[in-house]
Amino acid sequence: MGKKVLIIDDSSTMRKIVARSLRQAGFDFETILEAGDGQEALEVLSGENVDVILSDINMPNMNGVEFLRNKAEDDGIRNIPVVMITTEAGSEILREALELGAKGSIKKPFTPDQVQDTLGALL
Amino acid sequence: MDFAKSVIDATCEIFETMLMTRVTPGDPLPNRSDVFVDGISGLVGMAGGYRGMLAIHCSNRVAMAITGTFLGIDVETVDDDVKDAIGEMANMLAGSVKTSLSENGKDIKLSIPSAVGGEEYTFECHAAADQVLMPFKMPDGEFLVELQLQEQSE
Repeated sequence: MGKKVLIIDDSSTMRKIVARSLRQAGFDFETILEAGDGQEALEVLSGENVDVILSDINMPNMNGVEFLRNKAEDDGIRNIPVVMITTEAGSEILREALELGAKGSIKKPFTPDQVQDTLGALL
Repeated sequence: MDFAKSVIDATCEIFETMLMTRVTPGDPLPNRSDVFVDGISGLVGMAGGYRGMLAIHCSNRVAMAITGTFLGIDVETVDDDVKDAIGEMANMLAGSVKTSLSENGKDIKLSIPSAVGGEEYTFECHAAADQVLMPFKMPDGEFLVELQLQEQSE
């Protein structure tokens, strides 16, 4: 069965760019799901089994760190790997995300090769 | 700290990496008008060790060109996609500048990006201690990147 990825970002532009970068990096996901913030992502995950999540940090309503906290409390989704895609390189909030279980990070701006390097190790 | 260099480095890197477009910086401008015509401004606020904002100001033509290159599509009208793309440009620029500023040990928080635009709009910002207004040229025209910062005492 094909793999599914969930892209979480409040920017519709960035969601499209991440999806395009995944294709350019050679990933052949059967389904690419999208969410505009952490709350919307939790709603998507309540009805979908996904293999990996790519998440922004700085978002309205529920940011990437709050999303990780909520995800950790849900046995059904706790083990889905998350990679943060963010402008917040080296920041306190990114360190917090990694402590909460994020498996890696990709700094915006990014190239498909950087997506391949980070995600390839997880899939 | 050389704020102009931070703005130039961040802008060139983002355009080359995400849009495969080379941009050429001009000389910093002494000031700008508060009124913009037929354009869009993307904005991100900064708080913490520095307070201020980063903005990108561009004409509708340049904004559509940036969005089209970003998404790999033809863009013929200024719609929500264009506003979202210019807001995201501001977000990436602010993130890169924040990384430079944080090397001084300053913790800086970024706001959620926003964008404003129209036939004629006013964009006012209280003058800060450090400000840079940098013009850039790209094949479809020019745009401005503006950084206004006030260092906060501990």
